[in-house]
Formats: sequence, C-alpha cells, structure tokens
Amino acid sequence: MILRRLSVLAVTFLAIVTLIFGLLRLAPGGPFDGERALPPEIEANLRAAYHLDEPVPRQYLRWLGNLLEGDLGPSFSQKDFSVNDLIAEGLPVSLTIGVLALIIALFIGVIAGTTAARHPGGMIDGLIMSVVSLGLAIPGIIAAPVAVLVFAILLQWLPASGIGSPAHYIMPCVTAALPYAAAIARLVRGAVAESLLEPHVLTARSKGLPELRILWRHVMPLAALPVVSYLGPLAAGLLTGTVVVETVFDLPGIGRYFVQAALNRDYTLVMGVAVVYAGMILIFNFLADLTYRVLDPRIRALA
Amino acid sequence: MSSRLLCLSLLLCNAIMTPLVKAADGKVLHLGLAGEPATLDPHRYNLRIEEAVLGDLFLGLTTFSADGKLMPGAALKWDVSEDGLTWTFYLDPKGRWSDGKAVTAKDFVYSFRRLINPETAASLAYFMYPLRNAEAIANGQLKVDELGVRAVDDLALELTLALPYPHLPERLLYPTAYPVPAHVIDKVGDAWVKPQNWVSNGAYLLRDWKPQQHLELARNPHFEPKPAALQVFHYPAANTQNAWNRFRAGTLDAIAAFPANELATIRTERAAELHLAPQLSMIYLVFNTRKAPFSDPRVREALAIVVEPATLTDKVMKSGDIPVGSFVPPMVADYTHPALSHAGQPLGDRQRRARALLTSAGFGPANPLELTLRYATGTDAKRANLATAAFWQQIGVRVELHQSELKVHYADLRQGNFDVAQAGWLGESNPEHYLGLLHSRAGDTNYGAFADQAVDALIDDARRQKDIAARHRLLAEAETAAMKHYPVMPLFALTSRRLVRAELRGWHDNPRDAHPARFLVR
Repeated sequence: MILRRLSVLAVTFLAIVTLIFGLLRLAPGGPFDGERALPPEIEANLRAAYHLDEPVPRQYLRWLGNLLEGDLGPSFSQKDFSVNDLIAEGLPVSLTIGVLALIIALFIGVIAGTTAARHPGGMIDGLIMSVVSLGLAIPGIIAAPVAVLVFAILLQWLPASGIGSPAHYIMPCVTAALPYAAAIARLVRGAVAESLLEPHVLTARSKGLPELRILWRHVMPLAALPVVSYLGPLAAGLLTGTVVVETVFDLPGIGRYFVQAALNRDYTLVMGVAVVYAGMILIFNFLADLTYRVLDPRIRALA
Repeated sequence: MSSRLLCLSLLLCNAIMTPLVKAADGKVLHLGLAGEPATLDPHRYNLRIEEAVLGDLFLGLTTFSADGKLMPGAALKWDVSEDGLTWTFYLDPKGRWSDGKAVTAKDFVYSFRRLINPETAASLAYFMYPLRNAEAIANGQLKVDELGVRAVDDLALELTLALPYPHLPERLLYPTAYPVPAHVIDKVGDAWVKPQNWVSNGAYLLRDWKPQQHLELARNPHFEPKPAALQVFHYPAANTQNAWNRFRAGTLDAIAAFPANELATIRTERAAELHLAPQLSMIYLVFNTRKAPFSDPRVREALAIVVEPATLTDKVMKSGDIPVGSFVPPMVADYTHPALSHAGQPLGDRQRRARALLTSAGFGPANPLELTLRYATGTDAKRANLATAAFWQQIGVRVELHQSELKVHYADLRQGNFDVAQAGWLGESNPEHYLGLLHSRAGDTNYGAFADQAVDALIDDARRQKDIAARHRLLAEAETAAMKHYPVMPLFALTSRRLVRAELRGWHDNPRDAHPARFLVR
C-alpha cells in the first residue's frame, strides 16, 4: 500500500520536472543573449559546449540520465560552479529559514489558538484573533522591508541583510512565519474549541483530571489533525515562499536562484532547484499523510 | 521562564554582534558589487560586474590608474613599428604570479591563444580581433599558432595586427587581455578558478567565493607596491534596494548603485557620499531600416527630431543621466562631435518639419503612422519610453509600448524583430567604438541594419590610418554622413550613481567607472 503511494509519488515527480523542462525551453531568449554582442561562431561554440545544439528531447534524456546519477549539470549563469555546488551552498540556508519559520509559526499559532479557544467569544479571544487577522492580511513583501527599515536602519538593533550570526535570522524567520502563524492560530482555535465540547472531554473533567492534562492528552491530538493536514501545504509554502524573504533580506538561499535563474535562462539551475522543491513538497505531503493516520485511529480503522 | 531566557540570550547576542558588525577594520574593505559575477575566468567573462573583481585579481599589459586613466601595468613601456602593425611590449621584470613564479612573455602568448581558441568559447574574444588572424582562428579556419602574438624573449612580447589600431593599449585594459597561469591550467584544467588552485598576478588573489554572499580577496604577497588593504570583500547585491539598505546600516564602504528614486533624498542628506560620474556609454533609439516605413529616411528623421533628450533626463527620469547631441558621447576626447542637423532649432519648428516629412511619406490624420516602441525592463525605462511615445503622439503618431526582459529584448534586437527600440552601448574612449555600430558589416550589433556605402567607405578608410588625428577626422565625416539619414537617435549617456563613505580615500570618479581596490585606503 505504501509502495503504491510511493510509485504515484515518483510518477508525479517525473511529470512535474518534465513540465518545467518543457516550459523553460518554450520561453523566448536563451542563456547567451545579452547586451554585449556574440559573434555567430562563438555562439555556436558556446551552444555546443553546453549541448544546446542537440534536439530538445535528446537534451531532456541527457539531463534525466545525469539526474539519476545525482549530477545536476553545470550552471550556465554561474560558470565557475556546478548546480550541485550552488544547491549545496544555498539549500542549508533556505532549509534553516524554512524550519525555523515553521517552528515559530507552530509555536505562536498553537499558543495563540489554544488561549483564544479556552474562552470563546471573550475579550482575549477577540483580541488574539484580531492581531492574528492582521498577520494574515499583511503580506511578507510589505512586512519585510518595513521590518528592515525599523529594526536595521532606524534602531540598528538587527543586521539589514546577509547571514553570519543568529541575529541575522531573526527578522527573516519571523516575517516568513507570521502569515502561517495566523492561519495555524485560526485552525487550532476552531479545533480546540470544538474538541473542548466533546463527550470524552466532559468525562475526563468529571473524573477530576487537571485542565492542562486534559488539554495535552485528550484535546491536542484531535486538534492537531487539521494542523497536520495543513502542515503539508504549510511546509511547501514556507519552502517556496522563502523567495520573497531571501530577496528582501539578501539571504544566499536557493529560492532566489529559482527566479534569477529563470530570468537568466540558466536551464540547469532552474531544473536543479525545481527538482529539490518538487521532491521536498511531495515528501512533506506524504509524511503529513502518514502522520494524520497515526494521530487519528478512526482513519486507520477506515483504511 | 524559557521565553525570558530566550529574550535575554537574544539581547546578549545582539550586544555582541553589533560592535562586531560595525567595527570597521581599516585593513579590510567591504565593497558592494552591482550583481554576482558569472565567472572569474578573465577569458570567459561577459559583464562589467566581472571587470571590477577581475581588475583586482589580475594585472594586464596596461591597467587603470586610481583616476581611471590608462597606465603601464605588467608592461612598463611599449613601442609601435613605422607601419603601425607591430607593437612590442616590454614586461616588468619584477612581475610575479601569486605563487612566486615570474610572469613572462610566454604567459601572455599562451593567454591570447587561449582567448581566441574556439574551444574556450570566449564570448568576448572579438575584443582582440585586431590581432592578426584572430578572426580566422575563432572561425576555425586557421590554427591557434597562427595568431599574431610572439614572445621575442622572456620580457618582450610582440603583437602583430591586421590593420593599424592606435587604440590598442586601451583595448588591452579589458580582462580579455589578462594573462592566465599556464602552469596551473595545464595541471588542473578548468578547476584553476577554484580558490584552492587560484594563482593570479594582480594585487589580490581569490581566497574564497560563496555565491550570493561574498568574494573574499587577500593580498598577493608578491605584488609591488603593496596595497593598503589586506583583504577585500566584494558583496554582490541582489538588487539596488538591498545595497542601499546595507550602506545605511553601515556594513558596506561603497555600493555600486542605489534605487533611482532615492537620488533626491541622497542629494540633500548624503551629498558628501554621493558620486555621480558620467560614463562612456550611449543610450539611443534605433530604427529598423529593413522594415517599411522605417526604411524611409523621412520617417526616421520625423521621429528623431521631435524627441528632446534633455526633457527625458531632467524632467522625466531625474536620474542624473546626461542628454547628448551626437552619437559619440561627449566624454570622448580629441574629437569634434558633429552636431545633429536639427540641433538648436526650437521644438515648434521641428514638430512642423516632422509633420511635413510624415505627410510627404504618405502619413497624415487619415493614415496615421503606427509603431511599437520596444525597451528592456528597468527602473526608469518605462517612464522614459512613455515620454518618448508622448513626443511622437504630439505629431500624430500612434505608439504602442512593448517591454521585455533584457535578454529577450536584445535577442529581438539582434534578430531584427522590432520597429523602433531603445538600445544601449557601453564603450571605450574613442569614436570608432560607437560609429562602428553603423557599419553595414558590423554584424548583429548594427541592430537596425543601416547600410550606406559612403559611411562604410569613410569608416574603412579611418581604420587604415595609424595616426589618431587622421582617424578622428575621417570618423567625424562618417558620423556626419551617417546621421544625415537618422539611422539612430542618440538620447543620453549614463551616469553611474554610487555611494562611497567619506573616509574611503583613493576613490576617483571616472568615465570607465574603474576603481581598483589597491588604490583605496580607509
């Protein structure tokens, strides 16, 4: 059964990368077009050196063959590095930001949502959900530059850009996390509020169990369900969404490569990043699916 | 409890990091680059961005002085034969690679051959086409040994040209003419550009390169005179906003560009740090002479004479760029720039003449001229081209604007896929580099395919002269002859907009925007 799921994953992955490959080649312009003139004989040499003179299907098969050996090819725009090199340098940064943002989003979201759900309709609930809605409404591309202006330039508390110390990660991770923290808070609030009214909670309360234990042992696992099913898209969103954060804070991650490489028609680099993203998104969704089954016995029983 | 700990540790972190971030060590320079270099192989480079870093790593036969002028580099002096075809460069006997080996004429022979060799696929190999047989070798018609370079002895290099070219020392300023370490390339091949294998003959060597983060350069122990800075960090900026942020936050000593809309604020608040330097460049409108009605010179003249470059630069873009009145930029010295035929006429007269020209070409209110104006995406580009379109709308022309990314724009231009387009050219300080674009055999860069026998003949004749004054005289005639037909409409020359900390000395504005790090002192 799991094998069946995995084979579906593999086919989906292949379809995604093939589609991206095709779309890239359809775009007008090539990697060697630029302001400075390129005499035809030199352009021919360049194209031959990168196998761009072969028919496109043959180039595709060549790329696929290299992929199976783990070689993502040379970068057209960063000539002194291979795509493997560039991704090896950039992926840890993107992952760190993504994971930290995920943790921050979960932390803030769960706490805010649970606190709001304890007294539904009350003043605390109203206050928390208003702040949360603000977080959802303000897009990262606005929040990030404002944060830079306030904390880096005016107050000079945090560095404006780059990496190199824990302080460099604070603004990027928090601004990346905020919209998702808001979404999680809403989900958690709804789920917890509902779960608190369930019969098994009533039973636990009448047995005299402490409130915190009830929350942790009986309410959270069920309230976690919508969060877990959201985790798949959440992880995907955070990973691919690092583009904005990386651009504003000048972080050397792979998100920026995705956009820059596409503009430069650096085919191999775009494909390399696409492979990484597609792979991660598919795997996260798969893992979220598995976790869902573990958390809710009723689903396991159904299957 | 744990959140309080988190707060405390963050504050502590910050307290430690802030002084580290700001502690400006006079021995280390932090310079911003306009973008990420594509490569540090001087024979494979393509953009100005790379020139900045390569200039710190290598030393060519000639090199830039602190104020951007030409001065002897790896060669102490040179002379040229009577017929202007044979140049002999006498190398500095103290020249060394960063591993201590002596730099010899053989290194330069190897390097020029590698540049021209079709296997290297150097996109700018044509910079050295003045060398005899270079073009034929690049085309695969001759073998690499036939190139007009020869090591007379260890310290004398002979360059033989196909035609006289008195601007050769200036052409050698580009990284295409830099020497590369044959002894390293023979051992490790293309991996010679990696920091662990790096050997170069400039003031600095490459210590490390983290893409998207920084390039770390360290002093070359064998380079004389010793530069003030021990280390130089070049930081590629993802965009001008980031560079501007970093400069304001205090982490960079100089940046290559800032957002154009900040100019007004910077002029008042940071006047001491602002550096506006006119650049040897030309932004112009090009008409596609292959395509009717732009094959008709009356239509081209009508469109050209009603555009006011001064309005574009001063009122629309307000970016400090310099309006021009001729196709060769004003910074080119020793050249009498012929004025355009309509120079000095009031706008009203020009508009009347333009309408008359369009009528005689068959256009009018009943049959308006329709065209698409193409340009590449950029901060000021849209506004400037909207204004250009407005000038044309005033004489009854219907204009559609078409914006594309840089690559696509220039691909279209090279394929002749346009009506009228805005194009740019970064050049040298001689008129030939610009007028060559109007020669019928210039190739792809003559985007409009302008062809005029008289103009060709004048340019060809100029290229046979070994005396600069004679060349310039003929080129001025060529410019006058060409511009009568309005193949292009010159608009403005670019101004580089940089910010440099006042404490950084040795920074001199110049039209080539060359600022070698070895002359900078904090």
